[in-house]
Amino acid sequence: MIEAKQRSVLKDKSDVELAIRLIKHGARMNMLEQETSISYERMIKLYKEVAGKSPAKGQLPFSTEWFLVWQPQIHSSLFLNIYDGFVKSCDINEIDALIKAYEMYLEHTSRCNIKVVVLTITRAWLLIKFMENRMLERMKCNHCKGQFIADAYENKKGYVCCLCNPPARAGKTTQPEAHEC
Amino acid sequence: MTELFDIDAEIKDANLSYLMLTQHIIRKDKEKAMYRLGLSEDSVVLIDCLSSAQIRKIANIPTLLCQFRFNEDHIWKLLSNHSLASREINDEANCLHAAILLSGKIDQMIN
Repeated sequence: MIEAKQRSVLKDKSDVELAIRLIKHGARMNMLEQETSISYERMIKLYKEVAGKSPAKGQLPFSTEWFLVWQPQIHSSLFLNIYDGFVKSCDINEIDALIKAYEMYLEHTSRCNIKVVVLTITRAWLLIKFMENRMLERMKCNHCKGQFIADAYENKKGYVCCLCNPPARAGKTTQPEAHEC
Repeated sequence: MTELFDIDAEIKDANLSYLMLTQHIIRKDKEKAMYRLGLSEDSVVLIDCLSSAQIRKIANIPTLLCQFRFNEDHIWKLLSNHSLASREINDEANCLHAAILLSGKIDQMIN
């Protein structure tokens, strides 16, 4: 009995630590609830303490379409490549890999002089779920040999990525869109 | 003769700095270090345990310990901002493109 109690205290501690890391990165409530076993009321309290504001309300954007739009597709593909690298090369659990890969993604974008965070951590998390459920696929570009996110029904033969063959208006927007999620 | 000697000394210097940087990166975050350095878990654990004396000894070899992560001129062109596509896209996109290609090579490097 005592052992069981001690273990639950430790689990609670690691849950709170994980939640704090996720909240700092701007994770939404739905993600926090699914990744930890902290109660809704406590999570709201924790969220307010860490973020200094109430969490955003509403449903998550449960759509794969967003990941196939030019700019989001590039950002999500970068994140996924980093995430895959972590999962394949080291002994790491999924949520740790997600957080570390997300931090590396942020580092890459800031080095590329990109001021707006296109991929939020909640979107990154959703992306992993979509990949696991094969609602999206990894596709290898025949030109650059890079791996990109593509529609599950995309023709693999002769696939060329959106950077080797950008759409006509790609990159011409003056202000990159901020994506709330 | 002096020119040869200089190169040798500079390589040793670079090796020493590289090993020290590597150790610093590993101690900050092991998993991120594997990604940043393209090193296997075993190598990361080993380098982490090296003493200063061992580092100095290893750095003393006349060949560079670090090596370029890629040979593809495609990636070089992206990083140096040569326009590749018939339709030009911006620097940020080229930079992200290079990052995608490099990230995709990590597991090949490590395993």
